[in-house]
Amino acid sequence: MTLSPASTDNTEPLDVVTQNVLWNRLISVCEEQANALMRAAFGAIVREAGDLSAGVFNANGEMLAQAVTGTPGHVNTMAASVRAMLAIQPAESLSPGDALVTNDPWLGAGHVFDFVVVTPVFIAQNIVAYLASTSHIVDVGGRGWSAEAASVFEEGVTIPVMHLRRGCPSKGYQLRSSQSPGSGLRGSDLQGSELHSSQLHGAQLNEDMLRIVETNSRVPHEARGDILSLLTSNDTGARRLLELMAEYQLTDLIQTSRFIFERSLQGTRTLLQRVPDGIYDSTLALDGYDAPIHLQASMSVKDSHINVDLSGSSKAVNRGINCPLNYTAAYAAFGIRALLTPDVPNNEASLKAVTISAPPGLVVSAERPSPVSARHVIGQALPDLMMGCLEQALPGEVLAESSGALWTLSLSGAGTTEFTSLNVVLGGMGARPATDGLSTTAFPSGVGAVPVEVAELAAPLIYQSKEFVADSGGAGKHRGGLAQRLELRSALDEDMSLSAAAFERLTSGPAGREGGHNGSAGKVEITDGTQITDKGNYRIPAGETLILQSPGGGGFGKPNHRDKSAVMQDLAHGLISGEAATDIYQLNNKPNNKPTEE
Amino acid sequence: MLRIAIDIGGTFTDIVAETESGLHSVKILTTPDAPETAALQGTAELLHRLQKSHADIDSVVHGTTLATNALIERRGAKTAFITTAGFRDVLEMRYEKRFDQYALNIELPQPLVARPQRFGLNERVLADGTVLTQPVETEIDALCATLQAQQVEAVAIGFLHAYRNPANEQTVANRVQSQLGPTVTVCQSAQVAGEIREYERFSTVVANAYVRPLMTRYLERLQTEFRQQGFNGSLLMMLSDGALTTVENAMRFPIRLAEGGPAGGVALAAFVAKQTDSKKTLSLDIGGTTAKICFIQHGKPQTTRLFEVARSWRDVKGSGLPVRVPTVELVEIGAGGGSIASVDALDRLKVGPRSAGSEPGPAAYQRGGNQATITDAHLTLGNLTADGFADGMIALSPDAAAQAVKNDIQSPLNLASIEQAAAGIVELADETMANAARVHGVELGLDVAGFDLLVSGGGGGLHAARIAEKLGIRRVIVPAHAGVGSAVGFLRSPVAFESAITVMEPLNSIDCTALEDRLQTTRSEISRIVDDANVTTAVTIETIAELRYRGQGLELSMPLPSDAPLEDAIPELVHLFETQYKKLNGFVLENIEIELASVSVCARSVTPASTQSQPAKTSAPDPAIHTRQYYDPKAKDTFQIPEHSRYSMGTEALTGPLVVPEAQTTTLVRTGWNIKNTTLGHLVMERAD
Repeated sequence: MTLSPASTDNTEPLDVVTQNVLWNRLISVCEEQANALMRAAFGAIVREAGDLSAGVFNANGEMLAQAVTGTPGHVNTMAASVRAMLAIQPAESLSPGDALVTNDPWLGAGHVFDFVVVTPVFIAQNIVAYLASTSHIVDVGGRGWSAEAASVFEEGVTIPVMHLRRGCPSKGYQLRSSQSPGSGLRGSDLQGSELHSSQLHGAQLNEDMLRIVETNSRVPHEARGDILSLLTSNDTGARRLLELMAEYQLTDLIQTSRFIFERSLQGTRTLLQRVPDGIYDSTLALDGYDAPIHLQASMSVKDSHINVDLSGSSKAVNRGINCPLNYTAAYAAFGIRALLTPDVPNNEASLKAVTISAPPGLVVSAERPSPVSARHVIGQALPDLMMGCLEQALPGEVLAESSGALWTLSLSGAGTTEFTSLNVVLGGMGARPATDGLSTTAFPSGVGAVPVEVAELAAPLIYQSKEFVADSGGAGKHRGGLAQRLELRSALDEDMSLSAAAFERLTSGPAGREGGHNGSAGKVEITDGTQITDKGNYRIPAGETLILQSPGGGGFGKPNHRDKSAVMQDLAHGLISGEAATDIYQLNNKPNNKPTEE
Repeated sequence: MLRIAIDIGGTFTDIVAETESGLHSVKILTTPDAPETAALQGTAELLHRLQKSHADIDSVVHGTTLATNALIERRGAKTAFITTAGFRDVLEMRYEKRFDQYALNIELPQPLVARPQRFGLNERVLADGTVLTQPVETEIDALCATLQAQQVEAVAIGFLHAYRNPANEQTVANRVQSQLGPTVTVCQSAQVAGEIREYERFSTVVANAYVRPLMTRYLERLQTEFRQQGFNGSLLMMLSDGALTTVENAMRFPIRLAEGGPAGGVALAAFVAKQTDSKKTLSLDIGGTTAKICFIQHGKPQTTRLFEVARSWRDVKGSGLPVRVPTVELVEIGAGGGSIASVDALDRLKVGPRSAGSEPGPAAYQRGGNQATITDAHLTLGNLTADGFADGMIALSPDAAAQAVKNDIQSPLNLASIEQAAAGIVELADETMANAARVHGVELGLDVAGFDLLVSGGGGGLHAARIAEKLGIRRVIVPAHAGVGSAVGFLRSPVAFESAITVMEPLNSIDCTALEDRLQTTRSEISRIVDDANVTTAVTIETIAELRYRGQGLELSMPLPSDAPLEDAIPELVHLFETQYKKLNGFVLENIEIELASVSVCARSVTPASTQSQPAKTSAPDPAIHTRQYYDPKAKDTFQIPEHSRYSMGTEALTGPLVVPEAQTTTLVRTGWNIKNTTLGHLVMERAD
């Protein structure tokens, strides 16, 4: 684990096994970072979501590896944000111990909640790599979690790219008196971890910036903790990276980058070859804030490269469901890559094989100052839009549409008792070409629900039921995943306020494929007779119950092709009704055992 | 003195007898239909060898994977689940997320209880423990009639917030038991896993009910037959967390037996760690299919209260059934002797997690497997020899091994030599295991470099030195008796029982009196369970508090004094928490409430003494018996290196490179390492520099 005199001699090419090991280790470095961040995050939903990411970048700001934990929304966005941040704060201006930060939606991950921290890693005077991590901060002011803002200015405080920490340029790389600057670590026996600690010595936190965030946040201390966790996580990653470089006697990652990028590009190209060249168009209709939104894609596949043009999609709207292009690209590319190249790790080269474009100012390419808080309403619909294109290229291989945007259930006290509660209500995943869709499981998001007991302990709520909805999964040879019905009310005799910002697919259910039926549309109502029809805020009067029914996944293949024993089991389990069994699935010989009712 | 340990695994049943003269063991095939048959047969064989009778046995300690196997193979009882009305699908909805972001075709496991056997009952307890709705007798009775009609053998009851107030569960359980009679098993979630988070608690109580009839019948048969043979000592069962308990208690909570076998292996590692004066120990067991790691500090294995059984999707984390009971914290890695090496679509060299297992096995076995495995790589490099593998039971073919490495790795990657390809496989395997240890260490807030590495299993000694190098570890221990490790571990385990309660209240507003009452109840319950085992040694009670900043997921554990009043202990807890937090994260947070998430209580007897391992005979080593050809990956060349026998090695160090071949394992001492024997027979390798 020491850097020997020979260590700076990198002329001898690394062998393929060492390159492999280095690649694995870089992913492992990110994984460590992401796991640490996940546990340290405030807010159950952020932890459940793994609404964060961590990656390691080379000296040019190109992503080498990324944790497999983390949401798709952070994949492409973070890959681009390091370069975008360096364009503002050039590498030449950075010193050991420095770290940069921003939550600019157009530089980071699409809304002001997501903070990105980038930490350069030095060996001697040279930047050899960057560690980056991003995570969702519970509150940064503005209107909090809702789509009500008319512009990004109302959505919370935005921190432009600036230093979160400043190192000591005079001290940072004077590691040993014997070293002359520029000589690398020749002759030094310094270990990676010591190397990093010495870089942090005397570094100063940007307390001014932290105070701005704290002053603007409804939960200032938690916000501070989350931002500092990003910094710690990068430091841990940097230490690991330097240890790795010491072990393999590397002073740069140039060879390693080349190896990773070449292999990834080759692998991606090979896998993309099975998509026939051509242009594939698809559209998708969403409810929108209070008027329908049209999403349109034209996917051109040529020579193992996929470009998607989203021209023709609706113009940006004046409520916070718009999506910046970086986040659009993240989800669109995720849909394509999950179907075609699921085993190729994320990095500069593998992400480059898929490009997403759109003229500015659309709902998928919103520009400042469009409001973007609930950008996932659009972003998470994009994988289904991509699948719609790919279905034409690869008929029979593409799953049916899923419930799409995660239904964020955001409640707060509207009486005398103050509280906020954040949970999600999951719908069904689309049926897959070989099997049923997963019930009450998000796709493309990877977020799970907060347990009822945890939610009730954190806020004065009583969940009254949470059950599958019969006939909600689109009928088909393979059935779409089932929706759920969730009922809840205040545990106090007080009014509550509800943000309906993310309740999408209330007018039409996710589409089936290959003759499969659509999943059921979602439905949200309050027992006082109120129907939720747009994405605004609603009041739930004391004593009334909120009833949510998420959308069901689309079906795949014709229902009468479904295996009869599967139909009978669905019937016996009460997952489909008797009418559906006979009318849709054409189960003629009705079984004696009727669905069990309690 | 005569103690017997029985470890019943899926394939083999290991039986170890410990007498004043040392350890004696026998290994026979498991008899799956009536597992007690092999246990009885093996015991009789050992007794015969020792010229002893059943009446001479002081105690039998037993661990088994039968409960786990029943869950994997779905051989449990016909089980019904009664839950709060409106929540019967919690068991099937699980966490409502995909465990793999990029795999679109994943499958989730079917719940143990299908929907028609899951029933909602009108009752409700609120988060603070208040009863909002009491169950109504007529409704319970009507439900019982249905259960009777369905002929269920076991009933699991899980209500919302029962961890806070189990009254409704208790009421319903009593009524159901009296209606259905004593032949039907009835289990309550608060008793089996009294912690918050409904899905995990429900999953645990259902799994417990599901295996209980089967496990009860089995344990009753085993006990009866031993008694009939004249055995009148105590019969103790190994729990997943490395503690022993009475057979009666094991029958109440059979789900706690699930990881008993692997826990035995860890218990032995912990014992050897103490013997070799290792304060911080990373235990690594490399078997045929997987490797398992566990961190041990001051001879105490890391434990957790959540694990998964019966993974349904390619053994991927997240695809199993969660079980919330105390267990040794093992991280399983898909890298063992049979792990298959391949080149993927990206021209990357991959090792595992696919495994050739023992059937067909590595290419070198010549039993129909022709894919290159880790074992084939070792054979190609001269780390293993053709004869003497697995006690000579399996003859290896170096040619077949080399051919597979050539076809699968060398040719596709265009490498200069077969040896280079084989060395690559081993290096990748080492890297995979080292990475897992590193990542897990970070999760636990531990710096792996400060640990000793203690290896076991067939492949432990082969990989130890390189993995240690990767982790910055300077000392490696290769214990004696690695072959029947789990069973020996049972003999080294204390009688103990742990139980946890959820609190989730800020430290500064805790109702100390109420909490002390709850703690006292728990303490006396678990003390009684431990006392039932008639332990002769002293019993200590340990209370561990788990604290966190309110809203954060990072929970830190610290001891809570059992004697001092809770109120006085709180300021100290705050201090401990902040110190630990700062160490882990580099900062502390101000103005955020610190919350007591949960408290776990463990009553533990002192570990029984043991007869010692075979001591080393001489202080100076005998000269090497043989030399063998060995490929050095660093020099990229082949050399002759000496072979030494463990028993001819002394307490003075020998310098690597050399190999120590044994019946069940081979220890590879790489250049830069020394090796010596200890007075207790455990080998110790140390970095030479």
